[in-house]
Amino acid sequence: MNSKTRTFEKIYMGIIFLFMYAPIVTLIVLSFNKSKSRAKWGGFTFQWYLSLVRDSEVLNALANTLIIALIATVVSTIIGTAASVALMGMKRRTRSLVMGVTNIPMINADIVTGISLMLLFKVLHFEAGFVTVLIAHITFDIPYVMLSVLPRMKTISPSVYEAALDLGAKPLFAFRKTILPDLMPSVISGALMAFTMSIDDFIITYFTKGSGFDTLSTKIYSEVKRGIRPEIYALSAIIFVVVLILLLVSNRIKAGAGKRVKKSLSARGERIKNIALAAGVVAFSALIVVMALVYGGVFSKKSTQVFVYNFGEYIDPDVITMFEEETGIEVVYDEFESNEIMYAKIASDGAAYDVMCPSDYMIAKMISQDMLMKLDKSALPNAVEYIGGQYYNSAKAFDPENEYAVPYCWGTVGILYNKKMVQEPVTSWDILWDDRYSGEILMQDSIRDAFMVALMRRGYSMNSTDPGEINSAAEDLIEQAPLVQAYVIDQVRDKMIGNEAALGVIYSGEAIYTKRENPDLEYVVPDEGSNVWIDGWVISRDAVNVDNALAWIDFMCRPEIALKNFEYITYSTPNIAAQELIEDDDIRNSSVAFPDNETLERCDTFISLGEEADRLYNEAWKRVKSAN
Amino acid sequence: MEKELINLDHIYKSYDGQLILDDLSLVIHENEFVTLLGPSGCGKTTTLRIIGGFETPDKGRVIFDGQDITALAPNKRQLNTVFQKYALFTHMDIADNIAFGLRIKNKSDQYIKDKISYALKLVNLDGYEHRMPDSLSGGQQQRIAIARAIVNEPKVLLLDEPLGALDLKLRQDMQYELIRLKRELGITFIYVTHDQEEALTMSDHIVVMNQGYIQQEGTPEAIYNEPENAFVADFIGDSNIISATMVKDELVRILGTEFPCVDKGFGVEKPVDVVIRPEDVKLVKRGEGKIPGVVSHIIFKGVHYEMEVQAGGFEWLVHSTKESPAGTEVDIDVDPFDIQVMNRPASEDEQALGVVDDV
Repeated sequence: MNSKTRTFEKIYMGIIFLFMYAPIVTLIVLSFNKSKSRAKWGGFTFQWYLSLVRDSEVLNALANTLIIALIATVVSTIIGTAASVALMGMKRRTRSLVMGVTNIPMINADIVTGISLMLLFKVLHFEAGFVTVLIAHITFDIPYVMLSVLPRMKTISPSVYEAALDLGAKPLFAFRKTILPDLMPSVISGALMAFTMSIDDFIITYFTKGSGFDTLSTKIYSEVKRGIRPEIYALSAIIFVVVLILLLVSNRIKAGAGKRVKKSLSARGERIKNIALAAGVVAFSALIVVMALVYGGVFSKKSTQVFVYNFGEYIDPDVITMFEEETGIEVVYDEFESNEIMYAKIASDGAAYDVMCPSDYMIAKMISQDMLMKLDKSALPNAVEYIGGQYYNSAKAFDPENEYAVPYCWGTVGILYNKKMVQEPVTSWDILWDDRYSGEILMQDSIRDAFMVALMRRGYSMNSTDPGEINSAAEDLIEQAPLVQAYVIDQVRDKMIGNEAALGVIYSGEAIYTKRENPDLEYVVPDEGSNVWIDGWVISRDAVNVDNALAWIDFMCRPEIALKNFEYITYSTPNIAAQELIEDDDIRNSSVAFPDNETLERCDTFISLGEEADRLYNEAWKRVKSAN
Repeated sequence: MEKELINLDHIYKSYDGQLILDDLSLVIHENEFVTLLGPSGCGKTTTLRIIGGFETPDKGRVIFDGQDITALAPNKRQLNTVFQKYALFTHMDIADNIAFGLRIKNKSDQYIKDKISYALKLVNLDGYEHRMPDSLSGGQQQRIAIARAIVNEPKVLLLDEPLGALDLKLRQDMQYELIRLKRELGITFIYVTHDQEEALTMSDHIVVMNQGYIQQEGTPEAIYNEPENAFVADFIGDSNIISATMVKDELVRILGTEFPCVDKGFGVEKPVDVVIRPEDVKLVKRGEGKIPGVVSHIIFKGVHYEMEVQAGGFEWLVHSTKESPAGTEVDIDVDPFDIQVMNRPASEDEQALGVVDDV
């Protein structure tokens, strides 16, 4: 019976550890995976760690994170320790009141703290950025320091301090010589806690950071759109290890402090060792900061700037560097996850960014709401010369006079299928309703894309606002739901590469990449037609650095730059000259990357449908999702 | 009498609206062993902390060696304190603890070294220089605390219940140690305790305090033998305190029986309290004493027997070297000079104030 319980305990513990650490182990393993895909093991490699070190944006974010964490830790440790000491001098009632008040930031939901800090900074006309994030971090770090220092402070008899005064010490000297050494282990562990919390924070940082400033957490979050890069796995693995070390050190110091009471003689050595260890960790962090500073060039402030807001991983980072080197304009580059997030940001602060890259329907919406600036074509010679006329024509669907947007990337939506699993030729959206492929179908987890499939299959317009049409599309999607393996976005790519599904709705740009990883995959635009989408550069009506923004757009339209971007992001470029520069014949002539006119004529562009239609779609989409 | 060293001049101190010291005045002379004695909350520790500079009086002045030091910070006062819980610096070894004050005064290394070994010899802890404080016993720590204070050659050593945390045997040893130290150093000791035995053993001068007032000052003998009020009598040693009536000068009626005494000037037929120490109650054969009684309890205490005797409707506490078993019928007698007559206070306030006419 006893041994049975013990076995049960072991199994129980095993399961707990499995659930806690399996995700982290997976992450660390993937950080050494040569293949970019999560689904395929391409061999062992350090290349993601290497490219991480060369990635100036991530390093910049890392530097920001560490600088913020270090300064916030030092300041909050001083304030928190001083506050703890001061609290002990107060009357019991006042003390518990003050403690209650200082603990609020800790108990408070991060989102409330974040929003209220953001509002406060707005009211005080603080420019959101480094300073506001720092203040926010100091604010929420202080309670953690106090949490660690106060209990220790309570055990220290004030007579030790008085004894030092009595022996002739001045108050500050007495404090330093008597109370501080006893307090030190808890101060250090409080500081480590504050440091960890600061590195860890996302929500409060997100609300207080403003544009052009990122810490690691906000940087990683903004890259979600196209799936997380393997470099981020590597970075996360490093962060995990560093935080783990910090926690171990912190625990050792605490345990050491507890042991000290019993074993006084060895305690001194123990503590010195601990402090040395902590100092080592801090020095190590400082070293990383310095390195990152050198690479990231955090302090190299230039007088001219341009604030760029783009989808995650939607540019070759080298291009940014080249632009900066050539023009001397500093690029403040931020990434968004979706058109809607970008829209919310610009709607709340039109001057936050100068130049953005939204999608077609969103550009239409922004034009209709007078959020964009007409472009001065004379400042855009490359855009006029190299962007193909057919793309400008397509763009007229959302920008009738081609006044506001310069096409940047474009593509189609189609079906990616696995030739080994689907023997018949794929020509119609109908195959996604074929119950022979039950459980093998992947749909896009976004309203417009999912409805586009259903509407086009019925021969309706993908921009339909007819309630009956929308309703019948919804019915079709509900009927289809049992066959669908999953509604996903970037996982279509990985699942298809990993042979986990037979058919998936996907963007053409992803198709090029997936075909490279798994040659069995084939991409097709169904006969009923599909969506041809265009993302384009636009300038905010309230942009501050208009000339620099124009220079940026024109730079993007240079053939060799457009080519570089195409090779990096694999989404089709509308730049004719760049298309001709593509060396690989297969790609240059690929019908996936550059579909023929016959295909394009079947396709349509999304337009903004207005609030009433948006509501219909939203409600129908809810019905579809709940049918799963 | 030696020269006046400390003068507490009409000191008032209150915390949270509660009066701790109410118009306290006290003079302490050079080279005295003064004990502030009283129950907890009587204001003795506050008085010591005011002398040490850790508290500032609300009103009144502290004069030290002719100078007003009321507002002087503790680190600038020529006195040192030994704290109740030793207050050693746990992260420094013994030598560093003792050297703390000397290093602040920038004494030379040789001087400090000599002082440390002198002080350790003085407190009988030779060779403990490099031990850490929490590896020492309570008594040893306390002696280090004393050593740490005296190396600074203070004019006054303040001791705040320094033996409170020690066990009985150690406490008695330390009492002799302190007396010896005081003699060797030739400085003033101001000692705070609630232990009347400690006070009687060590002091030259005892100040009995209660509720922020000085109840009585004097030599240990005077305090013990001639308590001025019931509080002092009750607090110092065991006592039989009995309500009585002063018939006239040198005659007092106790429990209905008249006893000759030596006190005068209380008036005629005045209600008073009398104090009779247990060792002063004589048990004699039935018929030979004044009040008949019966022994109800007896305990052997080593030096003497402690007995309770029911006589005249009062339970008398009696110490005697002679054993009288429980149930023995006895008479009680008291010699005139062993009866201490005190005015009975009309109210509790008056009792606290110690309003008693000088005898």
